[in-house]
Amino acid sequence: MDDIQPTTDPVRPKAPLRSWFDVRGRSLSTLAFALNRLTAIGLTVYLFLHLAVLSMLLGGPESWNRFLAVARSPFFLLLDVVLLFGVVYHMANGIRVALVGMGVGHTQHKTMFYVLVGLALVLFVVGAALIFVG
Amino acid sequence: MQSSMSRRTLEEMATRRDRSGSLWLVQAFTGLLLVFILGAHMIAHHFIVEGGLRDYQQVLDYVANPFVFIIEVVFVIIATIHALLGARAIVLDLRPPAATVKVINWVLVAIGAVAIGYGLWLALALQRAAGA
Repeated sequence: MDDIQPTTDPVRPKAPLRSWFDVRGRSLSTLAFALNRLTAIGLTVYLFLHLAVLSMLLGGPESWNRFLAVARSPFFLLLDVVLLFGVVYHMANGIRVALVGMGVGHTQHKTMFYVLVGLALVLFVVGAALIFVG
Repeated sequence: MQSSMSRRTLEEMATRRDRSGSLWLVQAFTGLLLVFILGAHMIAHHFIVEGGLRDYQQVLDYVANPFVFIIEVVFVIIATIHALLGARAIVLDLRPPAATVKVINWVLVAIGAVAIGYGLWLALALQRAAGA
């Protein structure tokens, strides 16, 4: 498993950043790892943006409610759906990586991936529907 | 001389590997906590609220609850630690020189301290605004 090596492990691809985007001939584990990293970057950027946006609350009801009007626009709702995908995928694959890294289900890691990501996709579809309908 | 150098290098590598393993455990543990806390945060803020987001008064009413306040503060701390450990792992994958790694560590610690400090300050300011 590529994705359970400690961070400083010397066994690394020669061009690690480029290898995330090169999907040719990749194993499921490598693709899962690459997508995990990409969602991690997106979620980290979002976390800090989210903290910054919350400062609008200090501007009082007008400032916050102006932001709400923008945040409820179809474009922002679409971004919420992308965010939701990042969250549920990162969560599902992260659970698998954590369990396998702790020695749980090491031999069934592929099955675990399909089950957890399958559950994540169900959550994603339900959540995406709620974002637009709810 | 060469032998003692090699031994020291090996010990340093082992220490670095132990540290890396400990950080991996912290990341896994914070990640598992986030499954519950982030899940609760998303449901409370985005899925059970009409319109998908709380308006100003609803936010104040929400953070006025001491239990919610504590959970939200813990959420900021755990999410920041998890995110920055992940960012560190990604940056280290790019194989920076050892001296750069030290700088990266300090920069990430500083970003984390500012983010957590800001999150705490914001939560306290909102709780004051709510009159709690």
